Amino acid sequence: MDEQFLIEKLRQGDEAAFREIVETWKNLVYNTALGILQNAEDAEDVTQEVFVQVFESIKTFKAESKLSTWLYRITVSKALDHLRRKKRKKRFAYIQSLFGAGGETIIEKPDFNHPGIALDNKERAAILFKAIDRLPENQKIAFTLHKVEGLSYQEISDVMKTSVSSVESLMHRAKNNLKKLLHDHYQNKD
Amino acid sequence: MNEQKHIREEVEKTLESLNGIQRAAANPYLFTRIEARLEKEERSFWSRALTFISRPSVAVPAIVLTILINTAIFFEFKSEKVQTPQDEEQVFASEYNLSDNTIYESTIEPE
Repeated sequence: MDEQFLIEKLRQGDEAAFREIVETWKNLVYNTALGILQNAEDAEDVTQEVFVQVFESIKTFKAESKLSTWLYRITVSKALDHLRRKKRKKRFAYIQSLFGAGGETIIEKPDFNHPGIALDNKERAAILFKAIDRLPENQKIAFTLHKVEGLSYQEISDVMKTSVSSVESLMHRAKNNLKKLLHDHYQNKD
Repeated sequence: MNEQKHIREEVEKTLESLNGIQRAAANPYLFTRIEARLEKEERSFWSRALTFISRPSVAVPAIVLTILINTAIFFEFKSEKVQTPQDEEQVFASEYNLSDNTIYESTIEPE
């Protein structure tokens, strides 16, 4: 079905149109969320949240951009919110542990293995994902959208509502930071 | 020297490890879960309304506004003229036509 037709149908509350939208774009949303969150359960949770928001706010969608761009935007925003919530929780648990309250132990984040990585690259990719996780938010988003979702700089600039030159700059800084982080990792390993 | 070269190579290889990545597939039952979530959200409308009201950013201004309105009403009434007991007596007397001072003065006319 045509994208515009689907949007119109969904605006009228058509359930079949909603199902079609979910089935068509669910992997796009899930993969993006997974790249940012690096956790399958969190990514599934965020994917559900994204489509719930699509259902609730389709009337406000002006169709000035493509539906996929809108979906990327919602996914990125929800994933970042999720990460911030998690960080707040972690900080709170840490403070509680300092005062001896709670009793919830802080577990170190396990290595993330993306299911779409070839077997011989799994180990290196896990190291790279760990480094990506330490990047500033904007660099992390630009790098993930480019490398994990394969978006062009133009598409990333549409999603992030910024210029292509800003995306180029973000990518440049992200790569430099990653090189430093990976260099430290391999130096300390040897 | 060789070690640094080796590290640089490792870094480059690691940076390229995401090349050719395949898109991860979402849960095949995702739509059913979203439907359940939408139903649950509809049911919990009132609980969400309650959560909204109890947010500090909503609750605090609401309390401050209530206090301000109450204070304004309090001072508004206070500034009005306070009736003395004498005034009250006069009002009462005029209401029941008892404005004369005594019954002896008013009713008996000399023939």
